[in-house]
Amino acid sequence: MPRSLRVLITYILLILLALFMMGPFLWLLSVSLMPGRNVFANPPAILPTFIALDNYVQVWNFMNFPRYILNTVIITLLGVVFNIILSCLTAYPLAAFRFKGRSLVFTLLISTMIIPSATAMIVHYLTIQAFQLGNTFFGVVLPAAVSVFNIFLMRQTFLGIPADIRDSGKMDGASELRIFIQLVMPLVKPGIAVIGLLEVMAFWNNFLWPIVVLDDPEKYPLAAALTYLNGQFSYNFGWIAAGTMISVLPIILVFLFTQKYYMEGIAGAIKG
Amino acid sequence: MYKGFRSESFSAWAFMAPGLLFLAVFTFWPIIYGIPLSLTDYSVITETNVVGLDNFTRAFQDHNFLISLWNSLVYVLIVPVIQIISILMAILVNSRIPGVKMFRAAYYIPVVTSMVAVALIWSWLLGNNGVVNYLLLKAGIISEQVSWLSTNSTALYVLMFITMWKGLGYYMMLYLAGLQGIPADLYEAARVDGAGPLRLIVHVTLPLLRPHILFCTLISVMGAIRVFDEVYILTKGGPGTSTLTSSVYIFQKGLEQFNFGYASALGLIVSVMVGALSVLVFRLNRKGGVNSY
Repeated sequence: MPRSLRVLITYILLILLALFMMGPFLWLLSVSLMPGRNVFANPPAILPTFIALDNYVQVWNFMNFPRYILNTVIITLLGVVFNIILSCLTAYPLAAFRFKGRSLVFTLLISTMIIPSATAMIVHYLTIQAFQLGNTFFGVVLPAAVSVFNIFLMRQTFLGIPADIRDSGKMDGASELRIFIQLVMPLVKPGIAVIGLLEVMAFWNNFLWPIVVLDDPEKYPLAAALTYLNGQFSYNFGWIAAGTMISVLPIILVFLFTQKYYMEGIAGAIKG
Repeated sequence: MYKGFRSESFSAWAFMAPGLLFLAVFTFWPIIYGIPLSLTDYSVITETNVVGLDNFTRAFQDHNFLISLWNSLVYVLIVPVIQIISILMAILVNSRIPGVKMFRAAYYIPVVTSMVAVALIWSWLLGNNGVVNYLLLKAGIISEQVSWLSTNSTALYVLMFITMWKGLGYYMMLYLAGLQGIPADLYEAARVDGAGPLRLIVHVTLPLLRPHILFCTLISVMGAIRVFDEVYILTKGGPGTSTLTSSVYIFQKGLEQFNFGYASALGLIVSVMVGALSVLVFRLNRKGGVNSY
């Protein structure tokens, strides 16, 4: 087969797949831009015949979006900061130190990956209530404040740092904590970016746990608020479509601007 | 020297203490506490009694629980087939042609968006008068409208489709990483021996992707067992019990009906099954190359 024909077939397949993967989002965008149109009209409206932002304006005025966006941002920031600090602190000794119990910690961590606990959410609920953190953002964030996956990812990153760095710090009489903060951490910024991005996505999109923990819908993050909107106005498709676009656009933009790190990180997670 | 070793040990534990504390409370404790909880009839409403193994005997006579296990099993058997499409996608986006990175990003967007949004979009597309029915009718594939999500025989498969559609990009990236680790001279050598594109895939690409295939199978099996969001948002287990998966059933018993004791027992049963399953997959995996885990 000549090369040019092969390239042509590749492009055709790539475009068909792109339609399959992106089509539903483009259609959502199209519905959100057509006020007063029913998505179940016959034949269904696929391409916008006219474009107006009425749905966006109305749903923005109806729902307290600034509030939900602020909630989401707070939850996401808390979650990301906890995850970065805790997984770096935990992973660093596992990569750089030699100490008794190292393999014990490792085995414990791995065992949690093998045994997924279906009861976890129920016990988390009881724990959060016992700590009196029900209906708080901390209650939303703490159960996912550190993950074994992130610890492994950071451990891989720390393993790539030469031991000389720590030794030279010690020669100068720096404490372990100072070596960690001033010498080691600046070298693992790419790794931190990756777990940061992974957690931004995870916390931004989380909807079920926030609903369980938060009694007050005013505290809901966007994804949870969206299920609420859908329950209230299941007939007003344009509004829900616009609301959905508002909730997914930030995360898609974050992804598009950071995809280089993100995809390398995902790949690095398995390459190790 | 010995003193140095001891202080290093001290620093190590000091560094790990905060992280391990969180893991203890939110990862290890649920596993441990689920066991005593499963032996009680703990619920918020009534007094708590120790009921021994009653929850477990009840579970195996609970028709809905058995159905939920069966549905989860069907999910686990079918969803990992996703790997085939993802591998083909990875091969496509591994071509060295202009604009290919744009396609990679496009395929990944369903992965980063929330399941709430994805489920909403598909519920509309799949509605009676929705776009899917319209297109299939036009193409002559179906002869009358199908209520995809409220028909017993289709609902579970439609949910599987949505799970797969959202996950394709993720697995594609993992396979792409694998593909980029395959040395180009292996393909050259095979081409010199007269292998065509198909034989290159079967005899070079797939064998060398084996560790990745096993790893992806493992995580997709785990994902299929835990599947919750799409079911909860779209069907809540219905119509009837046709899409009731085990995590949805445990959630209903626990956090909707507050039967914490019974739900813990169900969770424990599922965890033991999952544990056995993952040991099996890990055994298979040992020959592979995912040694970093």
